[in-house]
Amino acid sequence: MTASHIARLLAATALTGLTAVSALAEEVDYGTFDGYTLRVKLIGGAQYEPLYTRIAEWEEMTGATVDVLSRKNHFELDREIKQDIAAGTLDWCVGSNHTSFAPQYGAIYIDLNGVVGEGTLAAFQARALENATVDGRLVQLPRHSDISNLYYIKSLYEDADNQSRFKEEYGYDLSPPETWDQVKDQAMFFADAPRFYGTQFVGKDEAITGRFYELLVANGGQLFDDDWNPVFNSDAGVEAVNFFRDLYEAEAVPAGALNYLWDDTGLGFASGTVALNLDWAGWASFFNDPENSKVAGDIGLVRAPKGSAGVRTGWSGSHSFSITETCDNTEAAASFVTFLTNHDSQMIEASAGLLPTRSTVWDDAKAQFAEDGNDFLVQVFDTYAQSMAEDAFTPPLITPWIEVSNEIWPRLQAAILGEMTPQEALDEAADAARLVMEDAGYL
Amino acid sequence: MTDRRPPFWQREKYTPYLLLLPAVLTILFVVLLPLIFSLYTSFTGYRLIRPESLWQWVGLRNYERIFGDRDFWVAFGRTVIFLTIALNLEFLLGLGIALLINKITWGQRTLRTIMMFPMMFSPILVGYQFKFVFNDNIGILNNALQALGLSDGAIPWLVDKYLANFAIIFAEVWMSTSVFAILLLAGLFAMPRDPLEAAKVDGCNAWQVFRHITLPFLMPFVFIAMTIRSLDVARAYDIVDVMTGGGPAGRTELLWTLIARVGYDNARMGQANAMAYVSIVLSIAFTYYFFTKLMAARRYMGGAD
Amino acid sequence: MGRTLRKRLAAVGLWLLTFVLMVIMCVPGLWVVLTAFRPNAEVLAKPPVWIPENPSLNNFAKIFGFGADQVAIPVPAYFANSLIIALTSTVIALLIGMSGGYAFARYRFRFKNGLFLGLMLSRTVPGIALSLPIFIIWSRLGLIDAKLGLIIVYVALNVPFTIWLIDGFFRQIPKEMSEAAQVDGCTRWQAFWKIEFPLAKSGIASAGIFAFLTSWNEYALASNLTRSTDSKTLPVGLMDFTAQFTIDWAGMSAMAVIIIVPALILTFLVQKHLIAGLTFSGVKG
Repeated sequence: MTASHIARLLAATALTGLTAVSALAEEVDYGTFDGYTLRVKLIGGAQYEPLYTRIAEWEEMTGATVDVLSRKNHFELDREIKQDIAAGTLDWCVGSNHTSFAPQYGAIYIDLNGVVGEGTLAAFQARALENATVDGRLVQLPRHSDISNLYYIKSLYEDADNQSRFKEEYGYDLSPPETWDQVKDQAMFFADAPRFYGTQFVGKDEAITGRFYELLVANGGQLFDDDWNPVFNSDAGVEAVNFFRDLYEAEAVPAGALNYLWDDTGLGFASGTVALNLDWAGWASFFNDPENSKVAGDIGLVRAPKGSAGVRTGWSGSHSFSITETCDNTEAAASFVTFLTNHDSQMIEASAGLLPTRSTVWDDAKAQFAEDGNDFLVQVFDTYAQSMAEDAFTPPLITPWIEVSNEIWPRLQAAILGEMTPQEALDEAADAARLVMEDAGYL
Repeated sequence: MTDRRPPFWQREKYTPYLLLLPAVLTILFVVLLPLIFSLYTSFTGYRLIRPESLWQWVGLRNYERIFGDRDFWVAFGRTVIFLTIALNLEFLLGLGIALLINKITWGQRTLRTIMMFPMMFSPILVGYQFKFVFNDNIGILNNALQALGLSDGAIPWLVDKYLANFAIIFAEVWMSTSVFAILLLAGLFAMPRDPLEAAKVDGCNAWQVFRHITLPFLMPFVFIAMTIRSLDVARAYDIVDVMTGGGPAGRTELLWTLIARVGYDNARMGQANAMAYVSIVLSIAFTYYFFTKLMAARRYMGGAD
Repeated sequence: MGRTLRKRLAAVGLWLLTFVLMVIMCVPGLWVVLTAFRPNAEVLAKPPVWIPENPSLNNFAKIFGFGADQVAIPVPAYFANSLIIALTSTVIALLIGMSGGYAFARYRFRFKNGLFLGLMLSRTVPGIALSLPIFIIWSRLGLIDAKLGLIIVYVALNVPFTIWLIDGFFRQIPKEMSEAAQVDGCTRWQAFWKIEFPLAKSGIASAGIFAFLTSWNEYALASNLTRSTDSKTLPVGLMDFTAQFTIDWAGMSAMAVIIIVPALILTFLVQKHLIAGLTFSGVKG
């Protein structure tokens, strides 16, 4: 029975033809759960869906049926899970999760150490597992990771006229930026509002908190000290706020940026009206697809630049799966999440440009891109591999992270709009964050 | 026939109560029962992610926090202004449209359907639609203004203090004007003809007829529409949440966006429900105002009371 | 002769003016409809492409899972749910509303104003204050992710509003008409169905349109109380086009068209009955 499963898995691998070199060091028995119905809640949306075509395969292999109770975006799902906790209706087994959300949910998800096979866990990148751990418990199995790097319009940098004018104005050669100060210079140089913008940033919700946070770290600051006192109202913090504020005041970013989320910045860059764009790996294929994007074929990519402390920005997180404490068949649930994060599953996600959490998939996906002649995605994976390995850091994995974030971002907006000075805004946010941390029992 | 009295449910005296019973039961079950629960939670430190906190009685602390919370009162005031402006605009525009269409004799059905077109849009859709219309960079409005040479800058519709509030009111008015128009049109249809004819015979001009006959007749319909809209206006939450999320820097924060963030994102349901109760008081004030107006208009009309 | 011609010209002019005004009013909505037929690159184009240059049905094909590698969005299921939920709740709300509206319009009784006000005030409660308690109660009763759960909520949403509207229309009908019928030997019940109901048809029709559209388009509560294809409605399905980082606006527009068209058709059909209101005013005259 078990041998045939592996054989079937290998056959499936050969059939999908995604990879020729599928070194299965780990032996996985996906088990048999005839007649069992596994209830799951998954994150929905175009880039997450292709993986779910694999569910049918798992059903066939194990004899179980998967009942997808909901398929929503993460914010909707978050609300739903909180309602389930409140109403005591955690009558499902597997839920999609994310680094930023996981700490809120406390003990509703089980520790996967000892539930998912050790061989399986060993195949994941150590960093990815570390980020999936809350209070020493591995509450998530990471499916793919996220980190941002800097996309730019290549032809702008190759233009001789731009090069000479830039050198004259700023005193150094025009080349893709190494530091955030250079980003600021170049963004202001390229900007010609309202036709064209130097760069852009997401302007609300956890999105801008995250961007602020990574720049804070890159400038040598911290959100909290070792005792969880908020300390982001430091010089490094003010410097970070000023970065956004200066760009905004110089109209180097779109005037509506403060209302932007990820879709707006992504679509903005694809519309060809923005020179530099710090963005996630998931956008790479979209940007380079002539059907969707006006800058296809003209995109450069460099690692995220350095802040004033010489540290690169690297706000990172992973999408993941978790298993509930109330699950009636942990074994089936473990088999399911293992299957959806196995080598072949991750190859499907990687082929769309999502960043794998298994070391071998990085290489195999890259080999696949090279074979397909997709040099751009090869470059994307090279760049992102490096930043994942060297620059990545997560937000503090604390229960009230979203709540702290909700205290920070409206004040960042106020500072960027000039309603407060950066120092005032950060002081106020730090006081409010302190209250939240006190309420949550950290202080 | 004997004079035995019929069973109580057949007695005339009880008929109205029986007729109202289904309505009352539905409301009790779907509104009052949940409301009692949330009233209770507003006195607790209830947090969604910690169910046991439901039993953590904090007395009036949530309310005390609210009364000292400047952001809350700013949002409260903005909601009042938002309601006042939106409802009046919807009324005036709706009245204009209803009067225009009422004049038309041919092809009216088509026009009426076109008029009701915005009502087909789900609030959530209206939110996305206007988020894209008002986008400063690739939005159709700025593109149109630039193409027509009316503007050479990117107008930050969803960021500027005044424009952002204009934008959310615009979206709300766009969605709901048809509601007024169709109700007032229905009122115009129900209007008796003879007073109009009589007035014309007496030599009244169009304005006098409108002012002294049409408008008083329409008033109950106006107040019904106003009441319905002022209650229903919380639907604007979907629109505002998608368009601006209450931002930037709280510039378009309405009570509903604030309550949703506190209750769900921050998981502080107790405090959110306390806010909700304060906002219910606001709605009751609006409703009561229009209700007394409605009663007055009915008395004026010599209604059935 | 010249006068009738002038009159006719004025009528045509008025019609055209109204038509143009209505169309302008519809532009933001029409933009959505046009977007549904555009390729993505055109959606973001700057300068804008006003009329789609390469109109296509690709966005619709993608929704239904033809050709693209995207998983199909279960539109038929959402559509069926929406239709069942909206129609059922509308019919129930109209029945309850008629009986309640009739009571308010025709009877004097104790607590009348209090009850009326109470019903109205029930609508002042913002959905956000109700969503969690309803969720908790419904989950105890097994009404989460069930059509019935949503139907009950929508009936409650629509009842107050149907009552006021129908009450208003019954008030316009002179009491004497049904009294005369009762003198002629009808029971009150017969008098209602034969005399008053047909006359109030226009009111009932417009209340019906409102109730239907409210249920058809409601999002906030539906997003809380539905989970899967068992009960998810079309507006909730719109969110299938949003992910953490992206919004497929072209796809969403295509879905919007799928939501709007049936509502539009139904409205157009029910319009016929609204015309009964015209006869009503004629009867009175």
